[in-house]
Amino acid sequence: MSPFGRARVLRRGVLGAVLATTFLRAAPDAGRIHLSYWEKWAGIDSAGMRAVVAAFNEAQSRYVVEYLPVSQIERKVVVATAGGDPPDIAGLWAQNVASFADNEAILPLEDLVRRDGGTTDQWLARYYPVYADICRHQGRMFAAVSTPATIALHWNKALFREVGLDPERPPRTLAELDEFSRRLAKRDPATGAILRLGFLPQEPDWWPWLYCAWFGGQLFDGRAVTLGTDPRNLAAMRWVAGYTRDAGLASVTTFASGFGKYGTPQTAFLNGKIAMMFQGVWFNNFIQKFRPGLDYGVAPFPAAQAGVEDFTLAEADVLVIPRGARHADGAWEFIKFVNSHNAHAQNRSELQGMELLCFLQQKNSPLRDWSPFFTQHHPHPHIAEFRRLSASPHAIRIPDVGVWQEYDRECKAMFERVRLLVATPEEAIAYTHARVSASWARHQLSLVRHGQLAEAPSPTRAP
Amino acid sequence: METAAEKSPAPVRASRARASRRQYVIYGLLACAALVFLTPLAWLLATSLKPVEQTMSMPPTWIPRTHSALLDGERVEVSRDYQVTQPGVIAEITAGPEAGRRLLFTDEQAAARQAEIRVLHRVESGWWRVTERSATNIVARTARWDVVPPEAIESRVRFRWENYPKALVALSGKSVEEIEAEARRGASAPAAAAPASDAPGFSTFLGNTLTVCVLGVLGVVFSNALVAYGFARLRWRGRDTFFAITLATMMVPFPVLVVPLYGLFKQLGWIGTLLPLWAPAWFASAFNIFLLRQFFRTIPEELSEAARIDGCSEFAIFWRIILPLSKPALATAALLHFLFAWNDFMGPLLYLTRQKSFTLALALQSYQSQQSGVQWHYLMAASAVTILPIVLLFFFAQKTFIQGIATTGSRS
Amino acid sequence: MTPRDRRSLLSGLGFTSLWIVGFGTFVAYPMLASLFYSFCDYSILKSPVWCGFENYQTLVRDDLFWKSLRNTLFFAGLAVPLGTITALSLALLLNCEVRGRAFFRTLFYLPSIVPVVASSMLWLWMLNGKFGLINALLAPVLAPFGLTPPVWLADPAWAKPALVMMSLWGVGNAMVIYLAGLQNVPRELYEAAAIDGAGAWPRFRHITLPTIAPVIYFNVIMGLINALQIFTQAFVIAEGAEGNPARSTLFYTPYLFSTAFYDLRMGYASAMAWVLFALIAGLAWLATRLMRDSLH
Repeated sequence: MSPFGRARVLRRGVLGAVLATTFLRAAPDAGRIHLSYWEKWAGIDSAGMRAVVAAFNEAQSRYVVEYLPVSQIERKVVVATAGGDPPDIAGLWAQNVASFADNEAILPLEDLVRRDGGTTDQWLARYYPVYADICRHQGRMFAAVSTPATIALHWNKALFREVGLDPERPPRTLAELDEFSRRLAKRDPATGAILRLGFLPQEPDWWPWLYCAWFGGQLFDGRAVTLGTDPRNLAAMRWVAGYTRDAGLASVTTFASGFGKYGTPQTAFLNGKIAMMFQGVWFNNFIQKFRPGLDYGVAPFPAAQAGVEDFTLAEADVLVIPRGARHADGAWEFIKFVNSHNAHAQNRSELQGMELLCFLQQKNSPLRDWSPFFTQHHPHPHIAEFRRLSASPHAIRIPDVGVWQEYDRECKAMFERVRLLVATPEEAIAYTHARVSASWARHQLSLVRHGQLAEAPSPTRAP
Repeated sequence: METAAEKSPAPVRASRARASRRQYVIYGLLACAALVFLTPLAWLLATSLKPVEQTMSMPPTWIPRTHSALLDGERVEVSRDYQVTQPGVIAEITAGPEAGRRLLFTDEQAAARQAEIRVLHRVESGWWRVTERSATNIVARTARWDVVPPEAIESRVRFRWENYPKALVALSGKSVEEIEAEARRGASAPAAAAPASDAPGFSTFLGNTLTVCVLGVLGVVFSNALVAYGFARLRWRGRDTFFAITLATMMVPFPVLVVPLYGLFKQLGWIGTLLPLWAPAWFASAFNIFLLRQFFRTIPEELSEAARIDGCSEFAIFWRIILPLSKPALATAALLHFLFAWNDFMGPLLYLTRQKSFTLALALQSYQSQQSGVQWHYLMAASAVTILPIVLLFFFAQKTFIQGIATTGSRS
Repeated sequence: MTPRDRRSLLSGLGFTSLWIVGFGTFVAYPMLASLFYSFCDYSILKSPVWCGFENYQTLVRDDLFWKSLRNTLFFAGLAVPLGTITALSLALLLNCEVRGRAFFRTLFYLPSIVPVVASSMLWLWMLNGKFGLINALLAPVLAPFGLTPPVWLADPAWAKPALVMMSLWGVGNAMVIYLAGLQNVPRELYEAAAIDGAGAWPRFRHITLPTIAPVIYFNVIMGLINALQIFTQAFVIAEGAEGNPARSTLFYTPYLFSTAFYDLRMGYASAMAWVLFALIAGLAWLATRLMRDSLH
């Protein structure tokens, strides 16, 4: 490939997509059915999906999809669905699926799959298992993946080099992570103020429960909340508290309040204030944007339990059809289009559906099969590692609980209390366990009341 | 108060000295307060004129700057990305799958890969990595970059006024780059120059906001004046009880009402339309009834009596006598509602579902995106544009406004 | 009822008919409906199912309910008195004969009309523990005493006071009402007091304060109602219902909002709303009592 070849291909792709959008907009679409599609992305991220929408509108003549960026999408979809005026397709997060399904806000997709012939299992077999699982709630299919996001350890090779660590060797075990972290920490010799930390569990604080899962802890066993009953969850929270204690609460708080907001050039990792961070495949976009040329590597989570390698969280944006959508058939056609690909694509213009989307957004495809062009010319320098992690048997998904929003929020509060040393890990976990268990019992009772669940709620176990 | 001081029986000179000393104190205090109130606003303006990477810099900077450097022999505008911490070299990879990529290598890396790279120039620690700033590149990675010594960077103050038009364009949720690409396409191929974009933009949001404000203001003035008249100037059984109940409704917190109101608007088919935001204003509200009632009561009863003797109907008295006398109070109610409706965030957040019916206050959220970060400079620019009309409105109306409240408050 | 009574009743009802409809539709009906929902298991997506006092019983046992209530009362307890003092001081300053009153009035009013998304972001920056402007000013003042300024929003103990500070910036509305009230203080009283040689404080204490007492009462009640419903700032800064750090900024209305619209527990949220109503009514009654006592 010529110098900057990849970049040029990519740019041409995006420009082409934009041009196609413009052109198609001008084309007459009289007599076609308009599908409204709400998506959370705005700005640069939306370019990929707009390109796929344009391709879909070009590929057939029955439907026209209208892409609308919507902020606070999960609440907007609920409100619009309750108001009887939902979009035909909504782009939610994987974490919304269970609660939306239990509240009958989104349609199960089995009938649509069956009508095309085949079962949902067959349909979902196109994905790596963890992504297939994300689409299901209690065994039923409610969603399809729009773009996946696998999480991995990102490390700053330049900082490793600076403190004499091998820049090509990320920490492989928890003990190594802690040790590297200590070696990477730097303090102002005069004032003792922290200048840099190797790793900080709160950066970012989006998946505090993930630390539990990473330690092997179970959060939900399908019947009951197990946060407080699985000792490995406690071990994880103790580990979190340890980081604050090692560095000193006041020092850490002051140091961390100097971080810029995530998604700015002042993001701690980009600034070299943090040397290692768990991030998703999307993070490369920020690096390209704000720290082009940053020398970094991508690795699986260091093993926190013996024998569990390649641990990762698979997250995804998903497409769903809200209840009351006027054109569920058309919505399904679009969803299928997004989840198709050209297995033989040899150049950029031959990319289709999911691969076009993931190529433009610079993410890994959730599909098992990758076309030659997508595999070899992907703009993300570490895409192979993300693909490998998606296929890992230790890739986990967000637990399939109807009260996940509350569970997640409670875990965040638990994490805050633990890391700020407001509560001991034992107290925080016991408290959170009790709260979430109560929510779960209440949720089941509500399902029984509304005739969605036959049996009475099972008593929850005490921690 | 000053007149009081001047008329004091104390010697004129001492009194003047005291008065002027007091003036200084008052101006001093006012200046301090003004500083406290101005600082955040000044920062809002400063931010709105910066390039995005300077908006949230830590430590913060006040003055927007622009940097330029020589890239490939050409002086171009650049962003200063970061300072290199280690010496090394810039080299181009000459072999393998990454051929053509230019990278920053440390000396040891460069030595290890000597065979497959071509060294371009040396880099010392403390040099800046700079990237060409180009508004037209959709994918930033295609921009040219280099690592240059600090003294090679020219830096000067520049206010980016172009953020303002761009911010308004970007309100539609598209990136400026996308829109510019579309515009270029439209210009080069006039045949395809369809109505530029179907995504609603600033003018739509402004139109919606004005619709909500104007229809709401008309409703507020009309309905509350009518109702307040019934409470202030007519005597009827149950009036005082009903008025007491009316006052008590001011204490009902919005959350009590929100869920059933939502259900009601849903039944009426109003969800997703602007109706929930202005229609209720046509049915009066406790605060405005109270405000206008107080004002109406200050108008001498004799005026009404005389009109009644002349055979005027109650409505005629209301319309021809009371309303013309009540302009300050009506203006106050109107202004209060206008300010409220202009900035209302909760109502639109709840009831509007489609972009094309968004109001400005709600549309401002579109600069916040989960995955690509917040476009602070645009958010602040659009905020400044959004508040400008109401600032002017308040500035010119404030005297009437305060007068309106003053007259009503006197006999409460 | 005499025909005259009936006629006046009819015209009274006629003039107030819009409000009767408005009161019934937008106040009374929603209140009764939410009272009903508060006894139901209800998400807006499914039909309500009666569940008796369950929501209220859950409420009493809900830690977060109590926590959000305590946080809110703490906030209101600080914000209302400080807001009253700030607004009244500004109004007194602006009531003096000074040049550029229109400018100052507009300036002090401005923060109340800056879109909340923008103003919250301004304050996030002002209050930043390491680089914020407030700490840049505080640090040199505190340094001689060996103290360092708090990290504000990052510290559970200081996050609420930080939000109070932010709320003081938006006292413009109350200030305007005080300004209006001050215009009604009869000039003659000041002149008489000045002849008697009364200083500034006695004049304020014995003339201004009694005259504007009803305005203060009105503002305190409105301020209390607003402070107890603090929503948008908290929602933007504390990221919805999380109330970071460590739930120190979890306030009542954001918690209620997220219960209703994120967790879809409308019945429970309605019960919370009714408790809030009772609380506001109780506090307003208390304030009225105190006011009456202090005036007599």
